[in-house]
Amino acid sequence: MLRVLLINDTDKPIAELCQALVDHGYEVLPMVASARALSEAVKLQKPDIIIVDTESPSRDTLEQLALMHTAAPRPVVMFSHDADQHLISAAVGAGVTTYVVDGLAPERVAPILTVALARFAEESKLRQRLAVVENELADRKLIDRAKGVLMDKRNMSEAEAYETLRNQSMKQGMKIAEIARQIIAMADLLN
Amino acid sequence: MNSSHLPADSSAFPAPERTHLRIGYVPLIDSAPLIVAHEMQFGQRHGLTLELCKQPSWAAIRDKLLSGELDAAQTLYGMVYGVQLGLGGPQADMAILMTLNRNGQAITVSNQLAAKLRAGQSLKSALGSLGRKPVFAQTFPTGTHAMWLNYWLAANDIDPLSDIESIVIPPPQMPDALAQGELDGFCAGEPWHAVAENNNSGKTVVSTSQIWPDHPEKALACRREFAALYPNTAQALIRTILEACQWLANDKNKIQAGSWLARPEYLNIAQELVLSRLVVTDSDQAAIPPKLPVRFFDERGANYPLPADGLWFLGQFQRWGLFKSSGQWNDIVQQVCQTECYLSAARQLNLLAQPPQAKTVQFIDGRIWDGTAGAVTMP
Repeated sequence: MLRVLLINDTDKPIAELCQALVDHGYEVLPMVASARALSEAVKLQKPDIIIVDTESPSRDTLEQLALMHTAAPRPVVMFSHDADQHLISAAVGAGVTTYVVDGLAPERVAPILTVALARFAEESKLRQRLAVVENELADRKLIDRAKGVLMDKRNMSEAEAYETLRNQSMKQGMKIAEIARQIIAMADLLN
Repeated sequence: MNSSHLPADSSAFPAPERTHLRIGYVPLIDSAPLIVAHEMQFGQRHGLTLELCKQPSWAAIRDKLLSGELDAAQTLYGMVYGVQLGLGGPQADMAILMTLNRNGQAITVSNQLAAKLRAGQSLKSALGSLGRKPVFAQTFPTGTHAMWLNYWLAANDIDPLSDIESIVIPPPQMPDALAQGELDGFCAGEPWHAVAENNNSGKTVVSTSQIWPDHPEKALACRREFAALYPNTAQALIRTILEACQWLANDKNKIQAGSWLARPEYLNIAQELVLSRLVVTDSDQAAIPPKLPVRFFDERGANYPLPADGLWFLGQFQRWGLFKSSGQWNDIVQQVCQTECYLSAARQLNLLAQPPQAKTVQFIDGRIWDGTAGAVTMP
């Protein structure tokens, strides 16, 4: 049975992987939450795989163990020739870094990464989606304000104001929100 | 800024192929050139916008340089060669664009050990009296601090591979770990020694400039592919950071830099602690041998990416069993150091016309080194 060590020392909820990995039949070692406890844990527990947030401050501790102790897991990055490239780069994209003992077959690591990805790729997708929605909302507000300026200063109807913004957008090859921003800036300047 | 060095017409510079660069750094006093370049917008004249990206570890700097998420970064000098050789991690062809600084690191030990050393006890006997294996911390296995620590221990007749335990923990945690008795000493950058002394967690017993006077410390590095694909960008970046280094040579500017470095978005630490390690004190100069200040610039080419500096790290990697020599040391260091690129950039600023010669140095153990590969291997 593969022994997995999770390092939980950032905001990323690495701990949430624990149950999922146990459910998949892995042995999850007692979690480590600081670099200072890590050296001991790796030496005593001898994990096969370590999963850590890419942004964890404990990563250099793992690098030292990887280089100085032949039995300690080594970093797996997208450049490793023997790992599943697609899976590894997806894991890096989700901000999860993996350290694996030498000689461990990629097909044994892959399911663990899949579990990690299912958790964190989803989270990173949600964050991106939230950012998109927030942007759209901000754009919508800008466009509404610019329509208001045009309706007020040029006596346009709402439909005419929007049509004007859209035409300018196509003519100048810029986003409607950008045109709206310019009109608002101009109106502020003239007032 | 000494404007007499600068050509009046910045349009004479070749336009960079890339204008927005993501630059990684680990928050330290050594980051000053990058932070100054950003705050003073030195990139503007060279057609560059620098986006500084604070990183929580050297491993993150390495991975993001290799993945392309960072275009260039502040790195530990030795780490660049560690990646070039693929020691303990991925291998990639690396490039050093310039040396960011020399000196400015230290070793701090527990108050108990420091008292014994002050009373005249040798380091070997002081460590022996602990009755257990001493624990020392450094920052990265192929980095600079690991090598300064090893060299200092060996100079004191202590085998760093068997007589002590060498661990890595994040430098901000080192002063506290020392105070808690989890460590007997640590080798790292500043301001962490200033913090340890200020908290009374330990005493600084050696400055790294006493181990190797004017040793190379942090490098501005990128993938070699980046330097080859975007030569004008690499030169523009060197010019930008070199101007920041030159600006930092002035003591008044150091004080301004100290106030920037102290800010929460950078080091997030008391300004007086930062300043205490940026400017030389009388007691530094009175020390034997004298402690040299952290050096960001000098007219003699302190920033030149000197291939000989790389030879020293390869020699130490071999000495400590991290790799076995393949005998191509000169080729390795000459390919890593972007000397032509650096010289063109420095000439565009009227700063350095010729490569500086490697000078003969004397290390803390009395060894004298003439800067050649043949003389670098250690017993």
